[in-house]
Amino acid sequence: MDVSVEEKIIPDYKAKEIFEKEFMPHLDAMYNFALKLTADEDDAQDLVQDTCVKAFRFIGSFEPGTYAKAWLFRILKNNFINDYRKKSRGPSKVEFEWVEQSISSDEEYSEPAYFADLHAETVQDMMGDEITAAIQSLPVDFRMIIILCDLEEFSYEEMAKILHIPIGTVRSRLHRARAVLKEKLVEYAKKKGYH
Amino acid sequence: MKASCEHHHECMKVIQRIIDREATAEEEAAFLTNKDQCLPCQEGYALELSLKKAIQSKCSVPCPEQLFAKIRAKLFLLFILISILIPLFC
Ligand SMILES: [Zn+2]
Repeated sequence: MDVSVEEKIIPDYKAKEIFEKEFMPHLDAMYNFALKLTADEDDAQDLVQDTCVKAFRFIGSFEPGTYAKAWLFRILKNNFINDYRKKSRGPSKVEFEWVEQSISSDEEYSEPAYFADLHAETVQDMMGDEITAAIQSLPVDFRMIIILCDLEEFSYEEMAKILHIPIGTVRSRLHRARAVLKEKLVEYAKKKGYH
Repeated sequence: MKASCEHHHECMKVIQRIIDREATAEEEAAFLTNKDQCLPCQEGYALELSLKKAIQSKCSVPCPEQLFAKIRAKLFLLFILISILIPLFC
């Protein structure tokens, strides 16, 4: 884990209190993030449970008053990636597409300059399931940054900490992720016969 | 009104920063003055805004109730383990 934490013993009652007050309110958000990452309800529940257990174990290194949500999301993201790495060594596991590994990752690239086929009204008419499916079809790095930014409204600085990347990379990755998402939405819109 | 924008790539980056509340006040002011004269930027702004709003309002589901219970149960077990083990070793 690249989270700079260590196990520190704090009294049980205090740990319980921090957990209920600071962590439990973010369970919905954590579940949504996990669900978008795993695209599976059971896997998402497992991921959130593991994250909570880990957060609890390392609760001594959480500073009350700091942003608990960002702290938890960082643990969740690390858990997901570690799990993925373990699983990807097995033969029958789903192959994820990792942007990190492709050469063009966060470099400048030629995006379609103008999404003439996609209008604000088209997006407004789309169903949540369609947009969710489009997000889930993105490479995992793109999926993460869209959820963190658009669904959870983390700042660029917070995302840089959660994802462990420079803020310039946050900007360029987000920009590129959105371009790819819009391309997917254009395909959906055409298939579904939205104007 | 311009039907095409010669620096649309740059404009889109600023537009996204504005929508994410990460743009500087100057960037935002400059964009707002130019917006009325540039159709692609106007539409780009509307599109980015509607996409962000759609993701926020349509793409989250409530966490299953039983997950709360599962987590509390797991932590309760952890508590018991800790309270048994620590006295054994201290
Ligand atoms: Zn323009």
